[in-house]
Amino acid sequence: MMGSGRKCPDCGSSNVVEDDLYSQPQLVCTDCGSVVSEGQLTTTRSEEVQGTIVRYSQSTAVDKQPCRNQIKGLKRVRALCRILRLPPVIEETSESLFAQAYESTDFLHVSLPKKETLAGCCVLLGCRMQGWPVTMGTVTSLLDTDSCLMGTVYKMVVSTLKLESPHTNIMDLMEGHCREYHLSPPGVPEEFCESADRLASRASALVELASDTWLMTGRHPVPVMVASVYLAWLSLKPSPARLKLSLGRFCQMAKVAVPGPASKRVTELKEVLCRLGQELPWQKGAVVSPQKVAALVGDVLKHRISLLKRAIRSHEDALAMDSVSGTEGLDVANTPSSTLPLSLCTDGVAPICEDLPIGSSPCSEGQPDFHQSQLPTPHAEGCQTVQSVRDSEDVVVTATGSAKNPEARGEPARGSAEHWGKRHPFVPPCARNPSKKPRLAETGPEVTGDEEISDSEIEGYLRTPLEMREFAETQMKLQSDSY
Amino acid sequence: MKIDCVCTSWYASVRTLRPDSLMEANNDVALDIIITNVVSVFRTRCHLNLRTIALEGSNVIYKPEVGKVLMKLRKPRITASIWSSGKIICTGATSEEEAKLGARRLARCLQKLGFKVKFTAFKVVNVLAVCTMPFHIHLIQFTKNNRPIASYEPELHPAASYRIKNLKATVQVFSTGSITVTGPNVRHVAMAVEQIYPLLFECKSTMR
Repeated sequence: MMGSGRKCPDCGSSNVVEDDLYSQPQLVCTDCGSVVSEGQLTTTRSEEVQGTIVRYSQSTAVDKQPCRNQIKGLKRVRALCRILRLPPVIEETSESLFAQAYESTDFLHVSLPKKETLAGCCVLLGCRMQGWPVTMGTVTSLLDTDSCLMGTVYKMVVSTLKLESPHTNIMDLMEGHCREYHLSPPGVPEEFCESADRLASRASALVELASDTWLMTGRHPVPVMVASVYLAWLSLKPSPARLKLSLGRFCQMAKVAVPGPASKRVTELKEVLCRLGQELPWQKGAVVSPQKVAALVGDVLKHRISLLKRAIRSHEDALAMDSVSGTEGLDVANTPSSTLPLSLCTDGVAPICEDLPIGSSPCSEGQPDFHQSQLPTPHAEGCQTVQSVRDSEDVVVTATGSAKNPEARGEPARGSAEHWGKRHPFVPPCARNPSKKPRLAETGPEVTGDEEISDSEIEGYLRTPLEMREFAETQMKLQSDSY
Repeated sequence: MKIDCVCTSWYASVRTLRPDSLMEANNDVALDIIITNVVSVFRTRCHLNLRTIALEGSNVIYKPEVGKVLMKLRKPRITASIWSSGKIICTGATSEEEAKLGARRLARCLQKLGFKVKFTAFKVVNVLAVCTMPFHIHLIQFTKNNRPIASYEPELHPAASYRIKNLKATVQVFSTGSITVTGPNVRHVAMAVEQIYPLLFECKSTMR
């Protein structure tokens, strides 16, 4: 509305302004309203100035259309959900997770395999959020991708969408897992047939026992499941024919893949079962061999809790006997009920180790921590002797390291080499048999970082002229030989 | 190299976690934090001819496909990756001081080889330490108590990982009680151990 330097021919006022009528530029007098001059009504595209600031695509596009990969990814999500026969809730959840993740900046410039894996990760996350049991291995094999890539993308999705990834309940997985085993008449001899339900219930009990005795924590769940199914199958009908069949042959017969660590898990489970089997009253303390333990599995599982109690008590008695014979004048009379494990002091309801979200409540935290008395004070005392005070910038640990219990204080000589794992009957296997040497702090030279460096120290790292010549000659020879 | 680190406040906070019935005098626990690796970088502010270093230096491995030279020092035991731009990364030291000494030795070595080296911009970028708790740990309870900072996927990795944002440290917790801590320097690593000890103590298991 700038005033142009013109005079209105009608009234003579100089108050003439530009006032366009739609696309026709006009000069109009504000006093009398007459049109002083006007431009062309129709103009070419290049002459049109108005309406060119906003891009065409921006003004006409209503919604952003998903790109081709996103559409493919959504189709893949739907296909996975149909294959796994997931309920519609999970399908919708997975689709929305995929859309959110795909459109976030973290997945903007990501490689195509990762985008393909993203579909599977969203399905897995959707299943976990709704409590549907699916293992990562299943989804990995369906996508035919690498398990490392799957793990990476899964963690990226969880952190991008800021969600919590609930753990899969292994007991839910168990039933589905047992149905995969082909142990019914047509393909398998009568002797080896077993119903999936019986197998599932026995294997679940074995998995619970494994989790109670620290065989599950930190381990991949699938090998433990395979091991427990195998042992369950052996124990349901411990005939010589069955006992002869190894894990590998069993899995081959049942048409199931053998995961690598499964045989180790079988050994560990058998060891635990032997130890518990030994406590059965009718065994009268006789040692049970792993070959013969299958027959006792049913009884062991039935009386699991009391057998665990007895095993712990007898282990403590054995330790007490050792300490009495080892050091004299020691009052070790009190290996009392106070050293019983927490969960076994409850009202007899089957307590489960927390390493699996099996569904029963974890050990009550209200009870005092009895096993404090058995904390590895010898270890602490051993450390105390090694303790060294470094420079002024270091501060000293409040590491007097002395025992919590009066009687443990009286066992100084016994302990520094003994690992705390030996004091408990059921610990993670690597803690029980620490085959590696305990990691000791290497007391290197006391350095400040600013010391003088003498020439002699450096000369060792430089070649002499003779060596250099020889090296160069050898290199040339090697090169000429290769040509 | 073992460091002894403390804070009376940490000790006090640990004390308050324990039930009074078990609080006796002198029931302290020593924790050895063993530093296994210190990674540091520095710049020489001059171009380095990698072929010359490969020819005239001993204990060197030349990798032309990557464009770097690996040089190993004996004392302190350090491996250095040397790039022609003059940027050098040293790994393998067991303390910050050792890392500095090793880096200076290396710079001196390069000086002897004829380069106009200046030892500048030395910085410790990563410290890896291990520590063992005298108890084993319920990983699932630990994860539940510390969501969403802690994450545990047994199908992927046997340890639960806990990221401390303000210290930029990551702690990996194993069920056997061992933890590995990575952080930008030793002080942060020590603080991370102090911070995580009470959380681990809550989830400890001494049963079975």
